[in-house]
Amino acid sequence: MSKTEAPESRPSFWSIFLIFLKAGNLTFGGGDPTMAILQREFCERRHWLTAEQYSLAYSLARVTPGTNVLAFCVAVARMMHGALAAVASVIAASGPSAVLVVWLTVFYQNSSGNPVAMLAVSAVLSAVVGMMLAAAVSLLRPHVKAGKWQRAAVFCASTIILREGFNLSPVQILALAVLGGALWKERA
Amino acid sequence: MKLVLLYFLLLKATITSFSGLGSLPMIHSDLVIKHRILTERQLHTAVAAGRSGPGPIGLYVVAVGYAAAGVPGAIAGWLAMVTPAFLILPLLRYASQYAEDPRLKRVIQAVVLSSAGLLLSATIPFAREALEHWWTASLALISFLLTAGTRIDSAWVILASAFLGAISALLMR
Repeated sequence: MSKTEAPESRPSFWSIFLIFLKAGNLTFGGGDPTMAILQREFCERRHWLTAEQYSLAYSLARVTPGTNVLAFCVAVARMMHGALAAVASVIAASGPSAVLVVWLTVFYQNSSGNPVAMLAVSAVLSAVVGMMLAAAVSLLRPHVKAGKWQRAAVFCASTIILREGFNLSPVQILALAVLGGALWKERA
Repeated sequence: MKLVLLYFLLLKATITSFSGLGSLPMIHSDLVIKHRILTERQLHTAVAAGRSGPGPIGLYVVAVGYAAAGVPGAIAGWLAMVTPAFLILPLLRYASQYAEDPRLKRVIQAVVLSSAGLLLSATIPFAREALEHWWTASLALISFLLTAGTRIDSAWVILASAFLGAISALLMR
């Protein structure tokens, strides 16, 4: 099938639901691996989605607020089977893993009486600090790689100064970022 | 805490972020500093729980909801996590019209860059609490290098950290 052809068939509701269930709850590492698996399942293996539809959903999910992969699920499910499938996709892709997260929270909270578990949790919390820094770097990296390091430095550094030095709230800072983004034009 | 208020506080955070942990600074500001519903450690634990399992990184919001108000709070957190995803439906409709608009692209880039700054800022109190010893600081550094520099799954890093922590506890006995 070429990139621009229409999908070969309309899938059933439950077949879509099961794929979201599997991809959303058995994939570690965040949204990108999940979207890669869904691309393989929907575009390459089953031809329920064209490459163009996938690309449109992927790029729009990037600019949709919140969790990108869930926006992506809503978009491709809507394309394949309508609004009901869009709602079902987020339930399938995040419901079971949400239950697991609650269970993990209980486990972490209940570890306070056991010294071995407490040290294990302390180690995990330390690792999370490293992951948070890595998440910030991953947000900055594409801009630096694209040669927009000045913009990255100005927006990132001014945000830290406004937050830590002037105690502005995140909403106020993001509003200023919107204004700055609209006004800042790169040189041609 | 009223569930509706919890939902809207969490929604305020998720709807103004563009990545999994991008909502963390707002949640920290509202739930830890302003309303004092959670402690630093509870929020930190919620992030750890969210990163330990499969699924989207944004799932930590469910753990935050649970820490704030039990199972109903977790449901409020889940709803706050999934609600912004439906904003893509109107975007799909008008995509061809505005998707390539340079000013819109610049605004989104600025918000993403600012989110990185907010995330760095939110890391400071976590680091103060978690990095009390040289070995926890070393773990954080190794975790950063592995997560930022390789494609290793974060669940493995979490698992290895827990294992090292448990082993060191047993050795210190």
